[in-house]
Amino acid sequence: MIHRECGVLKTSYAADMALYPVPLARWTVGAIAAAAFGVFPLLAGDYLLSIANLAAIAVVGAIGLNILTGYTGQISLGHGAFMSVGAYTAAILATRAGLPVWVCLPAGGAMAALVGMIVGSPSLRIKGLYLAIATLAGQFVIEWTINHVTWISGGVQASIYVPRPALGGLLIQSQREMYYFIMTVAALGVVAALNLFRTRAGRAFIAIRDHDVAAEIIGIHIFRYKLLAFAISSFYAGVTGVLYTYYLGIANYEQFTIVTSIDFLAMIIIGGLGSILGSIFGAVFLTLLPIVLRYVVEGIGGLFFTIPDVLNLITNVQLILFGALIVFFLVVEPEGLNKLWRNIKDYFRVWPFAY
Amino acid sequence: MTRSLALTLAAVLALAAAASPVWAGHEIAVGLQCDRVGPTNTIGPFLCPGAHDYVKLVNKKGGVDGHRVRVIEIDIKYQVPLAVESYEKMKQEGIVSLMLYGTPQTYALTPKLTEDRIPGTAPGFGRADATDGTKYPYVFPVAASYWSQATAAVKFLLDESKKQGKKVGKVAFLFYDNPAGREPLPILETLARREGFELRTFAVPPPGIEMSAQVLDIGGRFRPDWVITHLFGRSPSVSIKELKRVGYPLDRVVSFVWGAAESDVEAAGWATAEGYLGLQYAGVGQDFPVIQEIVKMYRDEGQAPPKEMAHSVYYNRGVLWAAVHVEAIRNAIKKFGPQIKGEHVKQGFEMIKGVTLGGLVPPLEITPNDHEGGGWVQVWQVKGGKWTRVTDWFKAYPDILQEALKKS
Amino acid sequence: MDFFALLVVNGLLVGTLYSLIALGFVLIYKATDAINFAQGELVMIAGFFVAALIQLYRVPLAATVAIAVLAMMLLGFGIERVMLRPLIGRPVIAVIMATIGLAAILKGTGPLVWGAETKNLPLPIPEAPFLVNVLDVVVLVSPIQLVAAGVSLAFLAVFGYIFLRSRMGIAMRAVADSQQVAMAMGINVERYFALAWAMAGIVSALGGIIWGNLLGVDVHLALVGLKVFPVVILGGLDSIPGAVVGGLIVGVVEGVAAGYIDPYVGGGTKDFVPYLLMILALMVRPYGIFGKEIIERV
Repeated sequence: MIHRECGVLKTSYAADMALYPVPLARWTVGAIAAAAFGVFPLLAGDYLLSIANLAAIAVVGAIGLNILTGYTGQISLGHGAFMSVGAYTAAILATRAGLPVWVCLPAGGAMAALVGMIVGSPSLRIKGLYLAIATLAGQFVIEWTINHVTWISGGVQASIYVPRPALGGLLIQSQREMYYFIMTVAALGVVAALNLFRTRAGRAFIAIRDHDVAAEIIGIHIFRYKLLAFAISSFYAGVTGVLYTYYLGIANYEQFTIVTSIDFLAMIIIGGLGSILGSIFGAVFLTLLPIVLRYVVEGIGGLFFTIPDVLNLITNVQLILFGALIVFFLVVEPEGLNKLWRNIKDYFRVWPFAY
Repeated sequence: MTRSLALTLAAVLALAAAASPVWAGHEIAVGLQCDRVGPTNTIGPFLCPGAHDYVKLVNKKGGVDGHRVRVIEIDIKYQVPLAVESYEKMKQEGIVSLMLYGTPQTYALTPKLTEDRIPGTAPGFGRADATDGTKYPYVFPVAASYWSQATAAVKFLLDESKKQGKKVGKVAFLFYDNPAGREPLPILETLARREGFELRTFAVPPPGIEMSAQVLDIGGRFRPDWVITHLFGRSPSVSIKELKRVGYPLDRVVSFVWGAAESDVEAAGWATAEGYLGLQYAGVGQDFPVIQEIVKMYRDEGQAPPKEMAHSVYYNRGVLWAAVHVEAIRNAIKKFGPQIKGEHVKQGFEMIKGVTLGGLVPPLEITPNDHEGGGWVQVWQVKGGKWTRVTDWFKAYPDILQEALKKS
Repeated sequence: MDFFALLVVNGLLVGTLYSLIALGFVLIYKATDAINFAQGELVMIAGFFVAALIQLYRVPLAATVAIAVLAMMLLGFGIERVMLRPLIGRPVIAVIMATIGLAAILKGTGPLVWGAETKNLPLPIPEAPFLVNVLDVVVLVSPIQLVAAGVSLAFLAVFGYIFLRSRMGIAMRAVADSQQVAMAMGINVERYFALAWAMAGIVSALGGIIWGNLLGVDVHLALVGLKVFPVVILGGLDSIPGAVVGGLIVGVVEGVAAGYIDPYVGGGTKDFVPYLLMILALMVRPYGIFGKEIIERV
């Protein structure tokens, strides 16, 4: 992360795979955790916390998609739908069975994992962009099903209100309480994903991404691991859906459309494929971008135009800037923000005594 | 970063405010979520200026009992996360009421509004059962819900047929296949049973740009006496063109409120759409004193009236939207004094009665039980290149609506 | 039976409209190996441009079509120059993302320049449909659909010729196959990328005119892009005849699904039945009906 890795020479595979490459890393991670859980929520107001919550939820989803797309090389355009599977599973369990949040959260993820495996099963036969479109089909079929099966959707309005989650006797309601809840889940997600790629399965994923035929020859059961990747990735997506549901207090499939799927794909591509840190960068970046752009354009636009004109202008300019920034980042650094970050870090690695 | 931007923004606003008279009273903030670039950008850019202009007019005339109303608009691009974020921002600015935008966003914010005790209005969208103020205390549809529109449409076509001495045997319902589109289905089924006509439904899947097979089915096989359409986005104009193409008479097609704007007819062609009927929850056209006052306000400032006004269906809905907020604030100030909060404005909404703005707004009567204000609509028709009024404000089948509300 | 025939003929005609959009998509994929998520937006911007020329500047229609085709061609060139050329040789997914960015830019530009309100795009084509009697089955055919069919078939012929016979087409196919090898063989990759985008621009211009006439012009016009995916997968991402045949299949299947399945399930099945068909097609022929079979060797 932030520490510099000057003069670190790795002499064993174990050292190469260590989570903390240098002792200082423990301290930086500790410091970040302390800032995220201790300092920030105490200092920030409801508004900042609400943005942080949305960003943290997006981080979970982005990591999930990155496990599938960035690490295993399978593009999915169905993650929006997997989120809605998680959302409705949790909502149904919470309202009809009255189950608590610590059951609903993994249950939503598990259900999404199951559906994700079914949608991902064509990956046996097809790959690349064709698979992307097959998952797009999954997106539409799931949307249609939720929309039309009233047992799932809870009536023609296709939305289910869920009670605020409670852990023990503690009701999670305010933005600050939500922040602790969502950040805990997000942190677990990050740690689990980091560790996943130190296991056999995680390395199998990477092998499949790098060359599937070669991977098969060295004894990796491709189909099994592809499905496993779909399952893990959809589990994350499902958890994301559950988090949205508890955060908003409602499950509604209309917020998990194909646009959502593309947004998450945008996050990981901008953040950096095949990188957990990149997923975090991408999710935070795309969550903040429209908000920051709004302030910037309002700030500048207000000087030149009367207010009513500005409203129409700024919104369109924002959209154009949004697109232009994405293109700009891709042209400058196609490997994403994570690569940009590594470049900066590499520059400072031997700073100030660069040779 | 944020702070310096906020300061810039504040400076800009201060400059803008410096031009207007100094206010002795207090400033009351109202949130407005709008979509100007998202999927509904054929509506937002015309709806929201109506709301701004009405508030501007109110402020020009001395505000609400001497208190200035400030509308904080944030564009949400029809996205739920941005709606949540902007709502928190508005809450920080101390809004006393919120104009919601879009059905999914209304769903997502309903629990928050209730917790924070800030009333939100969702005219013509959101869920129909929010009419029940006891169940959803902080959501106000303020205009006819899809349920009320369904009853009104059926009453209209039964009355028309009676006038022409015909019986209504078959009715087709052509709807957009999403939750909002399907919402009136149960009501229509109940009505079909009671009034003894055959109802058949035809779903148009999103994005609704192609429906020739459904329309062929309507015009070629089912051949109904009337068609009720409930479509969004670009699909209303497609339905007009397609129905015309199969030779179905458009004066027997009644559209719900989101398929009855100038732009829907413009896209299909005014000549093509001659005879097409539409429900409206706000008056159409510029023959209303309040619209003329807004025109005059702009003229007095030496400016041309805004071009958005030409899209009077949406613009006038924006005026209605702002008017109910201003009225609620007025009621709240009258009862609780100038230091009002969301819960006071909620009660202010529930006291709204007899605000008609010279016919632009229906005779709304919002009560703690009825947050819809009656569910009034008018029927308008495309005639000679413009929308002309066919009926006055009416509502229908209150018993069926009551029963549906009780059941939900 | 009568109704079934009606649905099929209608579906075929609607299918040609889909083909028109899918063609532009396939052209880009064929030459640059990238999925273009901005295809619908290109059509939209063309529609905006044409509607503005006709309504605001009162340009006669023939001139409008010519100007629009030229302008869209230039736009295609421009997009390639500014956005895609720096991405040559970079991961395909970066190019895909760039088209998503392009989609946002175009979506903001249209309403910003020409206003968000819906515009009518009149064409001097009669609206009234005529009846055609085919084997004792009377079907309705509307003139605009025939025009679309004509344009699609003309494009099919022209592009089919270019790709199969001309030096340019062969070079484009080589570029799509492998950019590096093509470069090594002395093919100017940039030039063929630019040509592909220019061709896609031309197709989008005509798509914008025809769909703009059908739907009216505003941002919703971009939604036609969503219809592209089942069409191109069925036909094969890199096949021009596939785009046409895929369009026809999707058109017919949608129509028949709406006419015969919808009444039983009470919902619009036509948006996902083509996708189901597509998944089945993928299981049998993962490279589409006409797509090139990729043989992998280690």
